[in-house]
Amino acid sequence: MDTRSTQLLKGTLDMCLLATIAQRPCYGYEMVQQLAQQGLDLVSEGSIYPLLSRLQHLGYIEGYLVPSRDGPSRKYYRLLPAGAKQLERWQAEWEAFALAVERILKGAHADAQS
Amino acid sequence: MHRADQQTQRQIADLVEACAGYWELRGITRASSTEMQLELEQHLQQAVSDGKSLEAVLGPNPLAFAEAWAREMHPRIFRGGAAALRGLVYVLSIVSTTALFSQLLVHSSAFTFSLFAAYLLIGSGLLALLLQLGGFLAPRISTRTGREALLLAGAVLAVLVLRLAGLTVNWSMALLSWSWPVTIVLLVLAVGLFTLDCWRTFNRAHTSPASTGWPALRAVTTFVASVGVFDVLLFVGSVAVFNVCRLALRLV
Repeated sequence: MDTRSTQLLKGTLDMCLLATIAQRPCYGYEMVQQLAQQGLDLVSEGSIYPLLSRLQHLGYIEGYLVPSRDGPSRKYYRLLPAGAKQLERWQAEWEAFALAVERILKGAHADAQS
Repeated sequence: MHRADQQTQRQIADLVEACAGYWELRGITRASSTEMQLELEQHLQQAVSDGKSLEAVLGPNPLAFAEAWAREMHPRIFRGGAAALRGLVYVLSIVSTTALFSQLLVHSSAFTFSLFAAYLLIGSGLLALLLQLGGFLAPRISTRTGREALLLAGAVLAVLVLRLAGLTVNWSMALLSWSWPVTIVLLVLAVGLFTLDCWRTFNRAHTSPASTGWPALRAVTTFVASVGVFDVLLFVGSVAVFNVCRLALRLV
């Protein structure tokens, strides 16, 4: 992934993680896989953990251990009501931002053609 | 998906251990640190099984990763006091038991704590810490032997630099000297602080579902054994080590 995409992902990773957890409770590696399936490859996968801790500290998500038959328990994360509200706010913010950028880019493209 | 080989398993274990040591130093609670280690280890195992490198998970600087995560855990500065208490317990126990055995065996009324003993004590503590944190080098230097060799080379280089700078040290110089009553006070203090540390640790362990077996017995045995080993090293081995070091420094 190039530097611009990396920077864009860095600024939106917390929102992407929250959206991923909103779909269904999941654990760290699962989130990385789901992001990769959507075309978002992280430069360092471990960077999700400080963000998950931050989201947890803010009360947006909750971590809980699920016992496993094969080995040690696994830590899953689920969305909390405050997280659902925050996700809505971030989504609206992102849509407004993306629309503005798109308008500017379309304008630049039209100017270049005329 | 493929299973990680033994060397990669060791690299993962060393990395997780290094992170755990760092988080303890940063004042993260034991319960949080245990969960963080669990998550990290499982992620690394799964990533390696999927053919990814350790660097793909932790980035080029594992220490920066450990610090970034620690920052988000809002560590309590006071927790650093727990690590300091454990260090103090070790130092007091080693010094007081060495003094006790020394005074008993030599039938002396006083014990002298030399510069060499202080060097051995501080050096061993630093080496133990460095060996644990050396796990951060695991993605670049895959074998534990390689990392230990690098640390040793660094220590030897530091001695050579000091020697070339013309620094001469009187290793047998007495730093402190005390008699029987002080030895007894130190011993009682060490036992008291060790009991306090044990009580604090196991009070917390009782509330954690992860505590199994005989952790108290294991901790006491490990502590007594490590103090005993260090006493032997300091008391019996010091003469030999001291002479070898003196000879080596003379040759440099």
